[in-house]
Amino acid sequence: MKTRVKDVIESLIFVSLEPLNLEKIKSVCTEFSNAEIEHAIQELIASYASNERGLQIIQAAGGYLFATKSEHDQWIRRLLNLEQKNRLSRASLETLATVAYHQPVTLAEISALRGVDATYSLKSLLQKKLVKITGRKKSPGRPLIYRTTEKFLTYFGLNDIKDLPSEEEILKILDEEQANDE
Amino acid sequence: MEEARDYQVNLGVFQGPLDLLLFLIRKKKIDIHDIPIATITGEYLIHLEKKETINLEREGEFLLMASLLIYIKSQMLLPRESEWEDEDDPRKILVERLLDFQKIKAASSLLKEKEDQQTKLWKRTIHPPLPEVDEADMVEVSLFELAEAFLTLMKRKEKDDFRLIHGKEYSLEEKMKEIIDRLKQDGYLDFCEYFYGQESIEEALISFFCLLELIKAHIVIAVQETLFHPIKVWPAQGART
Repeated sequence: MKTRVKDVIESLIFVSLEPLNLEKIKSVCTEFSNAEIEHAIQELIASYASNERGLQIIQAAGGYLFATKSEHDQWIRRLLNLEQKNRLSRASLETLATVAYHQPVTLAEISALRGVDATYSLKSLLQKKLVKITGRKKSPGRPLIYRTTEKFLTYFGLNDIKDLPSEEEILKILDEEQANDE
Repeated sequence: MEEARDYQVNLGVFQGPLDLLLFLIRKKKIDIHDIPIATITGEYLIHLEKKETINLEREGEFLLMASLLIYIKSQMLLPRESEWEDEDDPRKILVERLLDFQKIKAASSLLKEKEDQQTKLWKRTIHPPLPEVDEADMVEVSLFELAEAFLTLMKRKEKDDFRLIHGKEYSLEEKMKEIIDRLKQDGYLDFCEYFYGQESIEEALISFFCLLELIKAHIVIAVQETLFHPIKVWPAQGART
């Protein structure tokens, strides 16, 4: 039987721990044309999205990866004996949002924007690999510069940093809050 | 546990002075672009006074904001010949910070929603069984090779204008725990990557000592496939759970 590129890609995504991007797939599937590959991926995603499967293929950080469907969450947690998955604390989320929207950014800038010292929450984000150090700023003291990582994108299910909630979405939230007050 | 260690400046439930100010502004239904500074300063100080003692280290930011408010208030009180131009309104600096912070808060609530959705999707966190690393094939790295690799790395860092920063202390114990935690989490540790990620020479040195201690105690081993290959640190056989 002829090997189908769709099946090959399925297995490639299966063995990948991190989102597998199109370039990687193309570089491995040299026997197939780019058009064939792209078509196969779409077909694959569609077949998983159907109700026949418990898994799905999602796009995150510019690649593809397997994930369970959200409706099965409770059974998975039961299996793993987990009440709740760990979430980020409010301080961490705020710091992370500051980095995401103001990157490249230094610790002093983050602290100033939040009005609170961010040393600890930044350190814990570094440990979680949601932010990374990308160099030093060419300013007095040469402070370290921070950016978000690919893991950050995967964590929030974003395909690209451009997919962060836009200015309009943020303003919409603020308007809604104001409307609630009145 | 992490929550407890987290550096949270909570005056009650507030994540810092900007959060408190935003709350007051909303409560009093104030237009953020035209803040009655006297009212808001009064309200703000009342909230501060509710605390009997102020932990300077943790709540100093609240005092800083109080002094900024009072400063702005005093500026507003000064007699002036004409109306404030937008540019030199003393409230401008505060308004800009509040607007920025408001956006960050809204953004983090949007991220929170995404986090909630994503935590319901389970992704693989464990590598599919990679070809068993046959430890027999791995060359255990000698102390000299480790030290040499470490020196090379530090030299490379030096070029990045890596300076000695005093004042921060690292404990051996904590570092060891960090290394072991990383091993538990990832299964192994890439020697170069790990040291390259260290903030200062001091931290790197301490980590290096820890690593040597751990090797000596046979808790971990440092191996490389062949010469010149990346050095990897694995939990030692037997210590592996």
